[in-house]
Amino acid sequence: MVVPRTDFPILNREIHGKKLVYLDNAATTQKPKVVIDAMNNYYENYNSNVHRAVHLMAGEATDSYESCRTTLKNWFNAERAIFTSGTTEAINLAAHAWGKENLRSGDVVLMTEMEHHSDIVPWQLLADDLDIELRYIPVKEDFTLDLEAFDASLDGVKLVCIVHTSNVLGVRNPIEYVIEKSHSIGAKVLIDAAQGVPHKQIDFEKSGADFMAMSAHKMMGPTGIGALLVTEEIFQSMRPFMGGGDMIQTVTLKGSTYQDNEHKFEAGTPKIAEAIGWKAALDYMANIDLEAEHSRLVEIAKWTSSQLEDLGATIYGRYSEQDAAVVSFLFDNLHPEDLAHYLDAMGFAIRTGHHCAQPLLERLGVKGTARASFYLYNTMEEAVEFIEAVKYVLEKFG
Amino acid sequence: MNEALEEILDEFEEIEDRMEKFEFLHDLSDELNQLPTEEWTDSTRIDGCQSEAHVKVWIDSGLVQFRGGADASIVAGLMGIISIAVHGQTVEYVRALQPEFLARTGLLNSLTPSRSNGFRNIFSRVKIAIGE
Ligand SMILES: Cc1ncc(COP(=O)(O)O)c(C=O)c1O
Repeated sequence: MVVPRTDFPILNREIHGKKLVYLDNAATTQKPKVVIDAMNNYYENYNSNVHRAVHLMAGEATDSYESCRTTLKNWFNAERAIFTSGTTEAINLAAHAWGKENLRSGDVVLMTEMEHHSDIVPWQLLADDLDIELRYIPVKEDFTLDLEAFDASLDGVKLVCIVHTSNVLGVRNPIEYVIEKSHSIGAKVLIDAAQGVPHKQIDFEKSGADFMAMSAHKMMGPTGIGALLVTEEIFQSMRPFMGGGDMIQTVTLKGSTYQDNEHKFEAGTPKIAEAIGWKAALDYMANIDLEAEHSRLVEIAKWTSSQLEDLGATIYGRYSEQDAAVVSFLFDNLHPEDLAHYLDAMGFAIRTGHHCAQPLLERLGVKGTARASFYLYNTMEEAVEFIEAVKYVLEKFG
Repeated sequence: MNEALEEILDEFEEIEDRMEKFEFLHDLSDELNQLPTEEWTDSTRIDGCQSEAHVKVWIDSGLVQFRGGADASIVAGLMGIISIAVHGQTVEYVRALQPEFLARTGLLNSLTPSRSNGFRNIFSRVKIAIGE
């Protein structure tokens, strides 16, 4: 199924009197009406807290909330899915609940230069506490990871953290190779799948990864919810770091015992409406031929990048089959911030700046890029309009 | 508000098309007394701009002096407006000036002081320099 644009109410919006062309999908995606309706329906018809009361609405809310978890586990083929506020909290949870318990002074956490700040800073904070060593796999001139350097950096490594698909470059990393190699030396692997999951139904168990972090809002779900998927082995070696309601079995003044399921890591009233919205998004995605759509979007990205290149832009990325439809670019004679403002005046939403990946940009030798990122509801016509708009700006201000 | 500033804000209000507003803004960067790049330092840098933006504000014989420079043309234009608003004005006058006048340009998508709102941060720098 090709996604009907009419499923997304926001796409009818005008921006400064112009038709909206939304190309900031790597930051967050738009929501189909079914997601918005599911959340409204919860608040209008069965808003209740979960896991606690015996009344009818509490039962309905609990079932709906937990059915998101079931859908999520089925979608990703994962044994354990812990709800978090998003990718960032998922990685912080891994650092606190697993890292603090399982890493020792002198252990090494290996990351890449391509990581989002969300997959760097939690480990830096942990390094302050635990005296662990942090290493980074470099990015090569062709925007891919230096796998030889990776092979050579594995000594003492206990955890490898790698972004599935870069939010700046759109490059999809060889996670299969990284997982296999890491496991061969006994290291665990965490995948930041924030930009991977919107484009592909990933089989977590088959991937062999130990942790996978994601955000619902990048795959048509609401903001405020995401998940950390973990294997049963990892799950059993994690210790809760947030205490409170919902995560306990018994509490006495001497001490407490914890739930033995995912609730153990979900202290407090959870993200109920958000889970319900996310489930609606996953159900919606289940009807889409993601593979075909992904190929279509990569073609659009490829075309867009070659057009931009013809206009004189430098492109940061490459567009092979499995990469994401993310086009990062820069013009010598036009500041990206100016370009973004001018495009906004014409109805185009793009992102500029460091994209929360400053080490990568430093590696690329730039302070920021302009980024157009495409998603299911974007069309080739929009890409053509986008290029026309860029041409217009270049003529006027370039 | 001084007359030159009034005139400019009136002009902005008259222009309906946003791209035309930007063209007008683009020209206003000429009004800015340039702070040469050699004088750009950490202490002149404005945080919260995606571009390099630098201003120097000081008081000379009771009058506020403003110089600025930026690598993005829109930021330079906004500095041009702020320069028209404060350069050569008395400290008392600038003290009474509130940043809300910038909204009359119709160019701000967000009024929230935030990372992406360098505009407000430039104005705050002026206020700090005059001891507010
Ligand atoms: C690769 C990557 N990792 C992590 C994140 C952080 O996601 P969130 O802000 O939803 O926690 C993002 C979002 O920008 C991302 O693109």
